[in-house]
Order: sequence, then structure tokens, then C-alpha cells
Amino acid sequence: MIATAQQSESTIETKPVSIPLTQLTRGQRATVNTSELDEQDTKVLRAMGLRPDASIQMCRLGEPCIVSLAGACGGGCRIGLAKDIASRVLVTPHS
Amino acid sequence: MSVMDASPSIDRRHRTIAFLGNPNVGKTTLFNRIAGIRAHTANFPGTTQEARVAHIVRDDIESTLIDLPGIYSLNLDLSESQVCAACLDGTAAPKGEEAHTPDALLVVLDATNLMRNLTIVAESIDRRLPTVVAVNMIDAARRRGIGIDAARLSEMLGCEVVVCSARTGEGIDQLMGALQRARVSDRTAPTDQSGIERWSQDVYLNACAPLETLDDNHVTDRLDRAFTHPILGVCSFALVMTGLFYVIFKLAAIPMDLIDVWFGALGDGAGSLLPDGAIKDLLVDGVIAGVGGTVIFLPQICLLFFLLALLEGTGYLARAAFVIDRLLRPFGLSGHAFVPLLSAHACAIPGIMATRAIPDRRDRLAAILIAPFMSCTARIPVYVLLIGILFPDQPGTQAIAFTGCYVLGASGGLVTSLIARRTILKGKSRPMALELPSYRIPDLKSALLLTLDRGTVFLKKAGTLIVAISIVLWWLDAYPQNTTPITIQEEPKLEQTLFFPDGADREYIERIQQENLKASEQYEKDLAAYEVQHYTPPSYLQRIGSTVQPVFAPIGYNDELTVGVLASFAAREVFVSTMAVQVAGNDDIEDESVLEMIKLARRDDGSPIFNAPTAWSLLVFYVFASLCLPTTVVTAKESGGWRWAFIQLGWMSFVAYAGAFIAYTIVGSVGG
Repeated sequence: MIATAQQSESTIETKPVSIPLTQLTRGQRATVNTSELDEQDTKVLRAMGLRPDASIQMCRLGEPCIVSLAGACGGGCRIGLAKDIASRVLVTPHS
Repeated sequence: MSVMDASPSIDRRHRTIAFLGNPNVGKTTLFNRIAGIRAHTANFPGTTQEARVAHIVRDDIESTLIDLPGIYSLNLDLSESQVCAACLDGTAAPKGEEAHTPDALLVVLDATNLMRNLTIVAESIDRRLPTVVAVNMIDAARRRGIGIDAARLSEMLGCEVVVCSARTGEGIDQLMGALQRARVSDRTAPTDQSGIERWSQDVYLNACAPLETLDDNHVTDRLDRAFTHPILGVCSFALVMTGLFYVIFKLAAIPMDLIDVWFGALGDGAGSLLPDGAIKDLLVDGVIAGVGGTVIFLPQICLLFFLLALLEGTGYLARAAFVIDRLLRPFGLSGHAFVPLLSAHACAIPGIMATRAIPDRRDRLAAILIAPFMSCTARIPVYVLLIGILFPDQPGTQAIAFTGCYVLGASGGLVTSLIARRTILKGKSRPMALELPSYRIPDLKSALLLTLDRGTVFLKKAGTLIVAISIVLWWLDAYPQNTTPITIQEEPKLEQTLFFPDGADREYIERIQQENLKASEQYEKDLAAYEVQHYTPPSYLQRIGSTVQPVFAPIGYNDELTVGVLASFAAREVFVSTMAVQVAGNDDIEDESVLEMIKLARRDDGSPIFNAPTAWSLLVFYVFASLCLPTTVVTAKESGGWRWAFIQLGWMSFVAYAGAFIAYTIVGSVGG
């Protein structure tokens, strides 16, 4: 029982913090987790390169929110997102 | 040997090759480099999606090349993805082509964004089609220090990989050779989204540069921030668009005048060659005038699409779309709609055609519906006439009234969109998620080819119908004609002796009076015969005018104005010339005295035709009314059916009538 408690404690400790994309600061890097968008919009974003575990960098906050998918697309592609969409994409900021 | 490796189903003498790839990977530039001007655009039946198609012969093999729409994935629930998937399945083909599975598939990738691009390769491998992968923009990748091991990539994908640059021409010959040897991949790729993502990352890491490449392009960053800034972004957009339309207005005027003169000369030439009669009238006033009236739009359309293609090629338009999205979204329109709506201020037709760039169908239909509300150049002659009547010799007020007309039209459009998005096009406009392509120098050849294409599409699609309708309207306006043969050319004159010499005797006077009586009787006879021969019966259009006039009576229009309004259903600028013909018997609207005559024209009861309430009513009517048959035709073509064209025509006519009635009543009661 003790072992289980410790295990769950460690899970809590390492669980990544998910915040909306819009809460990143300019220049901050993060990893995409999930999105709270509907299935279709999520599929489109994933196809555009905004996939889970993709490494991104915030280029511009506000409307539109611009992110660079430097690593995630293998080069320098950028995606502009309406704030409405960006606020529902959850990311884990890099420390 | 490698030829024999190909799928046995391939007919060596004729092959269909489909080009597939993400947007902004230079796929169309590559297609244009291979196909040149032999290509044309064709729609997929029943959709607004289009592909470029070319038939080429190389090494005695005839190939049909199909440039499919740019997509991120074949499995998305988007029209463009579905069309591509259907084309690869052999269940759909661009208009004019036979639907069958392509003999080879060319997947075009962007070397600078390879990992994301690999998703579509996985989906292509799953199709089991002979495939070649073109890694395009290799020159840009080298500049950024991105290394790609083509041999390793080819091994992992199980098909031939060619690195190339459509811009410089590097690798194109190798690509053509590879296409002849295309074979089905001997590898498999996952089919689920997560599996595909892991697979593409794995392939990328094995064949290309390391995963973590830093995007520290400060110039792009700064430009992006400036172009999407709430104030700076709007200002730069205003500047770019003002420049764009200044160039369109300035440059298009020259070919438009030339076309006008050329068709005028053609009409005169044909008129002098042909004998008088119905065939001459049909050719000169119907066909030549109708074709001229259509072709005159061509310079504006070509220039608009050419400049927009250049602008899009720079990567700027994707940024600008976000700036305008903020302003338009409250009205249920997306940022993509702004350029089409702005274009509609030059002419609604290129505006409606430019809505093809709007990805969401409902957003696109909303933009098509409201495009004709924007005050186009054809409204200007009518505005000039009516504002001149309302505010004579007040240039300041005239300028304000002119601007007011533009604002009133645009407001009508925005309110219409607001209503449509709550009724027939229910739903909010889709929030935008757009790839922002790198800033580049635009490709002149691609822009020129696109322009050539759009021009041809316009002439082919709209031209035929517009000309047919123009001929019908000409006939209604020109017939019935007086068929009595003309034997008396000159109007008879009454010649009588009115003065007698002093001291004339009675007999002389009686003789002269007798002669005068005879001359008078003869004159009456000749005049009656002359009038029968020279009588112009009211045209069908005039008859329709008198019948329909009661409908327009509540907004102050008499018979002449009703005919003017009815005639301008073909094209609104016809109003001024129709009024000129009716009140002055002369359609030379350049002649100021004719315009003066229109302004001063009087009704049967002696009151002016253009009194203040009527002029206001007409002005409001012309701001809102969809008086342009070409626009209605293009709306039907672009929206995929006559339903939307009739909704647009009906709604705009209702708004115009209601607006005119309100203006007539208010000005009438204030003035009275």
C-alpha cells in the first residue's frame, strides 16, 4: 500500500503542467499536449504540424497567435491561430 | 529494367500522373515548370475545387498531369481533401477527364518542412499507387543548412526520391525520368494518425537533419509582428490595398478604353459592310455590343488576379487575412473575405471569383452573397448623374454624398451577412488557423499562368451566357420594328403662298387660295404617309415598362424611369444611356448637353422627372440593387447553383425597393 502511495505521489510530481497556448510568453518554447477543440479541428491542426509532443515556440501573442513549429515540421514553418483556437490548445512549457 | 518494375496496369503510351502535396510546397510552380502554358484549370464536377490539368508528350509517352488542390492530409473532412482522395481512388476527375486511378502519383514535399510533409507520404504509400517523391525547394533548404539524404529517404519510403527546385529547374529532368519508372512502394506505413506521426518523425530523424532546428529568423518575426499588429497591421494593409487598386484602376483604364474603341470600330465596320436589316442589327447591336460589354471587364479581372497572385506569392496575404479577420468576424465573415470584398468595389465579378480563396463553404457563400453590395465602378455614372442633380454646384457635398453611397452599400452588405449567418447560412464564421508561409520573392510565371487561366475561365463561363442574355435584351429593346418600306426619305414641307402683291385682283387671289388648299391637302397626305413609314412602335421593353410602371410608382418612377431601371437589369450603367435615348434621342453621354437634358427632363404633366424625392429614391435604389446580369450569372456559377443567385437578386431587389421607398417618403414629406 505504501509503495502504491509513493508511486502515485511521484506520478503527481512528474505530471506535466498543461496550460493554454495563449498563456505562454513571447519566445517561450513548449511541447504540445492535447487540444480541447472538436475532433475535426484537432485533426486539421495535427495535419498542419501541431501534433502532440511537437515542440513549438511562441512568436506572437494575441490575435492572431503565431507559433513556430521549428522542430515539429523539420524546418521553419509558422502557423497563425485565431485566439479562439489557440486558447484551446494545451501545451507544457519548457523549463 | 526499371520500366518493367512498374505496375502492370500502366499503359505505356498514355499515363495519368497526379501531383499531391501540402499547400505552399511549390507544387504548382513545379507543375507549371513541367507543363508550361499547355495547362488549363478544370473544376471537379459538383464542387468548387479545381485542379490544373495538362497534356504533355515526352519520350513518345503522352501524359495527363493533374495538379490536385494543396492539402495537409487525405483523411480530413474538408472538401479539398475529399476531392484528392476521390481522385486517387479513381472515383472523381477534373471536368473533361476520365475518372480512373492515376497511373503514377507524384508527392511533392517542401525540403524546408520535411517532417510535417511526410504525413501525406504515409497516406500515399497506403494507396498502393506507383509513387515518386519530389523533395522540392532544395535550394532554400541548403541555404538554411538542412541536409537531406535522398538515398536513405528513398530506401525508407520504398520509392524513388528526387531532390529538386521548381524555381531553378534543378532535378526536373531526373524527376521526369523517375516518373517513367514509378513503382508501388515496397514498404508499409501506419494508417492511424498517431502512428503516422511517429513514423514521419522516425523517417525524418533517419534521413535528414536533427530534430531540433532553431527557428531564429528575426526578420520574419519582426515582419510578422508588424503585419499583424492591431494598428500597424491595418495601416500597412490599407497602404498595400490602396496601391493595388490604384494600379488596377490606373492600368486597367488603358486596355478598357482600347477594347471599347476596338469594339466600337468593329461594330462600325460590320455596320458599314452589312446591308440594313435584322441581321445587321443583331450582329452590331446584339452580338458585338454584348461581347464588347463582357470583354471590357477582362483587364480588371486579369490585373486583379495577377497582382493578387504576386501578393500571395510574397507570403503577405496570409498575415493580412488575420488583421481583417478581427474586423469582419462580428459580421459572420472570415478574414479571407476581405480581398474579394475589396475587389468587388472595382467589379463584383472578379470579387465573386476571388472568393475561391475562402476555405469554408458557408463563409464563402456569405461573401458571394454580399459582394454585389459593394459599390462597383459601373455604379459611378449613375451616382454622378443623381448626385449632380441633388447637389448642383456643391463639390464638397457631392464628395460626401459619393462617400456616403460607398458606406451605405458596404453597410448593406455587412448587415446582410449578419442576417444570413443567423438564417440561411447559420453558424459562426470558422476561426482561422493558417500556415504562414515564408516571405519570398513571388514567382512571376505562376502569377502569369494563373492570370491567363482566370481570364479564360471568365470568358468561357460567363461570356457565353452574358452574350446570350445581352442579345435577348437587345431584341426586347429593338423590336417590334416598323416593317413598312420607306419611300419618302425627307419629311414633307408645306409650301404655300402667304402674301399677295399689292393690287392683286380677285381672280388671282382665288387662284392662289385654291393652290394653297391643294398644297395643304397634298401635304397632309404626304405627312400621313411619311409618319406611317417612319413610325417607331414602342419596343417590347417599353411595353413592359408601361405595364410594370405601377410597381415602381410608389417610389416615384414614371414610364421612362421604369424602362431605364428595367434596361439596367442587364448592366446598371445602361441606365444613363437609356435615359439619354428616351429623353434626348441620343445616347452620347459624353455630351454634357445630353446629361443636362436628362437632368431637366419633364414628365407628361410638366413636372421634372428627377425631382428631389425621385432622385434620392433612385440613388438609394442603385446603391443596393443587383442590376448586373453578369454578376447574377457568375454568382450562380461560383455558388454551384441558381438558388443562391436568385436569393441574392431577390434580397438585393427587396432592400433596394424598401430603401428607395423610405428615401422617397422621407424626402417627399420633408420637401412637401
